[in-house]
Amino acid sequence: MNSMALEIRNLAKQFGDKVAVNNVSLQVPAKSFYGLVGPNGAGKTTMLSMATGLLRPDQGSALVNGVDIWAEPHTAKRTLGVLADGVRQFDRLTGRQLVTYAGLLRGMDREEVTTRTEDLLRVMDLSADGDKLVVDYSAGMTKKISLATAMIHSPKLLVLDEPFEAVDPVSAANIRDILNDYVAFGGTVIVSSHVMDLVQRMCSHVAVIDGGVLKASGTVDEVRDGMSLEDRFVDLVGGRGTSEGLSWLRTS
Amino acid sequence: MVAYILKLKLRLLANGFKRSPWQLAGVIIGGLYALGMVVMLSLAMWFSADNLEARGWVSVLVGSVIVLGWAVIPPMITGVDLTLEPQRFVHFGIEAKTLARGLILAGFISVPAFLTMLAVLGFSTIWRLDPLALIVGLLCAIGTWVMAILLCQYLTIMATALRAKRRFRELSFGVLFLLLISLGPIITTIATNVESIFDLLIPATKVLAFTPLGAFAAVPNDFATGQFAALGLHLALALVYLAGLYLLLTRATGKATVTPPAAQRASSAKGLGFFKITPATPSGAVAARALTYWFKDPRYALSVIMVPMLPIIFYFASGTTGNYSMMLLLGPLIGILMGFSISADVSYDNTAFALHVLTGVTGKDDRLGRVLACFALVIVPLILAAVLPASLTGQPWRIPGDLGMSLGAFLIALGVASIASARYTYAVPLPGDNPMKTPPGNGARVALTQLATFGIMGVLLIPTLVPYIFGWVTQSMLAGYITVAVGLITGSIMLFLGIRIGGKTMDARQPELMQAVLVNR
Repeated sequence: MNSMALEIRNLAKQFGDKVAVNNVSLQVPAKSFYGLVGPNGAGKTTMLSMATGLLRPDQGSALVNGVDIWAEPHTAKRTLGVLADGVRQFDRLTGRQLVTYAGLLRGMDREEVTTRTEDLLRVMDLSADGDKLVVDYSAGMTKKISLATAMIHSPKLLVLDEPFEAVDPVSAANIRDILNDYVAFGGTVIVSSHVMDLVQRMCSHVAVIDGGVLKASGTVDEVRDGMSLEDRFVDLVGGRGTSEGLSWLRTS
Repeated sequence: MVAYILKLKLRLLANGFKRSPWQLAGVIIGGLYALGMVVMLSLAMWFSADNLEARGWVSVLVGSVIVLGWAVIPPMITGVDLTLEPQRFVHFGIEAKTLARGLILAGFISVPAFLTMLAVLGFSTIWRLDPLALIVGLLCAIGTWVMAILLCQYLTIMATALRAKRRFRELSFGVLFLLLISLGPIITTIATNVESIFDLLIPATKVLAFTPLGAFAAVPNDFATGQFAALGLHLALALVYLAGLYLLLTRATGKATVTPPAAQRASSAKGLGFFKITPATPSGAVAARALTYWFKDPRYALSVIMVPMLPIIFYFASGTTGNYSMMLLLGPLIGILMGFSISADVSYDNTAFALHVLTGVTGKDDRLGRVLACFALVIVPLILAAVLPASLTGQPWRIPGDLGMSLGAFLIALGVASIASARYTYAVPLPGDNPMKTPPGNGARVALTQLATFGIMGVLLIPTLVPYIFGWVTQSMLAGYITVAVGLITGSIMLFLGIRIGGKTMDARQPELMQAVLVNR
């Protein structure tokens, strides 16, 4: 078995004049719960898109469980589950149909897909809404159903871009339990987030990315270096204003 | 405050153009086309100026058509640019009256509104022989213009509440679409009875002159012919209508700012639907998904409605000439159009296409699934359309030829479309959007791609066309059988190649396709 679930080598992407991701290399060990943090517009989504086959990089490569996703996309994607941020779903399908669709697209057989779909709907707390069209789901429900589509083929590596955005606390806790179990049984998870507290509690490893550049990476304890992750993050990224902010924003 | 809202609208307009050069180019081409129409029609009005009897009712008719057009087309069919809908200003605490005034004025800033203004002014040249009447005509033209845009704004606000309900939106477009395409036959029927139409129109304009549609447009004629009592009445009515409309609009805007958006009733579907029927393979799954969309997505429903509508339109159209041989072309036409309809499939998926990229479904399975869905849907109506006209008109010798041509056209169109949709994406209405609303600035490129696609289909159809036409001319059933053989063989080969090449193209270009659909959202 490959010891690195995801190996990013010198990935770079430029949009016009703007360098979105600048020569980033990152190693995500198997069985780790890896957090990817960075301010808005840091290049998290761009990097994950390149690592998951959605966006062709200008240079560099990404190895998913040892397989180069740009050289052998079909093989690499078999062991990879992705929750992409900012894309639609086929929302004229019902939740149940959508998850089934994702399973069948992966070439799984029908009984397996049926059982797993019901299981996923149950743990996502969506059983009652399985027959509703996804277009009528709330933002949080859509996140959860998308997560289900990413997990149905029991991938070795899950890449989740902003999985907890708009998800209610109870569902978020359920999803965290699922992910923790998944890691405990040998899976690898990468989540991007800007909730530091969540990352510190949940993840074993963390990488900080800012302005398209990798600022720090390693185990959470290594990176935070005795401070809270939030303080350390602000330290690395900078940009905190001084106390003389909005002097007029005083109610009395 | 009003000035700020107007500036905001201008800025939005300008930024819309800046977004992409293609869009700007499209707007310019569309604008030039519309401008050309305006100039042509204005010239027509200019040269009708000496027809003293007609100019009165022509003026009312034209004015009414413009106001009616604004009242119907934007609110009901194409949808209005709602970047400045009242709800968006809820959080700013602007006084309702001020806000209403600003929004109403902002409604006058748009390309169509500008073109309409040019049009009404140009149409006033029908009064050019009488300088005073011309001045009255120009002033009333502005009145007509204001009336048109206020009416449009009012109906838009009224319609927005209803449109918020998805069901209604999808239904209303269907009904309107049916009306629109049956407009052609209705017009041809009317056109054949032109004489009696004028007898009908002239009294109608007399009535229209008392309605908001034609009141302003009636004034110049009253002035020119010296009927001052009628002038007073028409003018007073026009002003009352305008004031009333303004009042209603202010009220509706105010109300819209305090009304929360309507809640939607979630719709559902029991079980797995098509996913249960199709084979449990990736291509089967794609087919099931595509079939679901053919029925559930109004953008596809447009094409589905075409199938039963085309025969009806053709029937009416040939009814006017009494020559029904046009009906014999139904099969090939449905074959080409329906086969071609999957060429925008990836564009319709929009970013949901990410699921296909992420699951690593092969291009071949993707293409095959979409073709299967279209095939399953169309094949029976296609065969009926190919066989029925010939058998009903008692020309059984035609059946094989028609059948071969229809099937050949359908298969070849499917093949070519499979390659086209793996290579080109267009800006299409977004999922859930009004299907009639084509994103602006699309025209030139889409026209070019589609022209090329149709051209290629035409060339590939030549081998089938030769025996088909030969059979048609010589009334030979044998040539018909040859058409079947050639159509099926070339069609199958093209479809096979289309899926293969399209699949390869897609495999190579998945991320690029993904980026292309990301732009349009």
